Amino acid sequence: VTLLELVDRVLNKGVVLTGDITLSVADVDLVYVGLRVLLTSVATLDETETNRA
Amino acid sequence: MLYLYALSEHPTVVPPTLGIEDTPLALERFDGIDAVVGTVAADRVDPSEGTILAHSRVVDELAAVNEAVLPARFGRGYSDVDALRRAVAEHADGLRQALDRVRGCLEVGLRALSSPPSEGATLGSGREYMLARLDERRRAEHVADELHRPLAALARAEVRSVASTPQLLLSASYLVPRDAVDAFRSAVRDLERSHPDLTLACTGPWPPYSFATAEIEAE
Repeated sequence: VTLLELVDRVLNKGVVLTGDITLSVADVDLVYVGLRVLLTSVATLDETETNRA
Repeated sequence: MLYLYALSEHPTVVPPTLGIEDTPLALERFDGIDAVVGTVAADRVDPSEGTILAHSRVVDELAAVNEAVLPARFGRGYSDVDALRRAVAEHADGLRQALDRVRGCLEVGLRALSSPPSEGATLGSGREYMLARLDERRRAEHVADELHRPLAALARAEVRSVASTPQLLLSASYLVPRDAVDAFRSAVRDLERSHPDLTLACTGPWPPYSFATAEIEAE
């Protein structure tokens, strides 16, 4: 969970100035896919939501 | 490429650590705002476990020895010092405000999870389901407020979202003065005792990632 929180902060939070390189959504998604083992708790939550929807 | 790790209030203490691809850190000074950078060979930095951890390690070590640090979001680089200077100058006022806000503070994260919904909760008519969801939502907001109030009293600022999934009652980040972090953790333990039905996950302290965004982006 701590690593997930870390990745979330490093990739999604923090100062953004203009004129810089931005990552594509696909890049960010790939990180999450790569870390999927660590994301079990989130996946479970998503699954719960999907099942209920 | 000049890769940006963080902005910091001058004078910045640069820790003797290496950054992405084991490159050394350097400091560029712009009118009271220091930029902690590193020169990396590639013209972009792809996100991988190694590069993300390297970025976060640099920011952690900076925040450990400096009072006011604004972590940069991962993956941002500049072609040269002038390009970085222009970007900093364009946001200088917002950056100074943000540095003032985070001075002396760290970020503590909190997630509150309720127990899994009971089996069969999705049975029944659509109307019953929607009413149940509405009820769930109101209950979540009420509990989130109960958790939030004693913690907000110890924090300088907070960002939160309530009930983004049925189980996640509260997901929040608090900007906490360094000398209040222990008191904050103790307040979380009190909440764990008063809400035995919830699982509270308290993380950090982190550098103030969540408080280095809004005002600057809004400009």
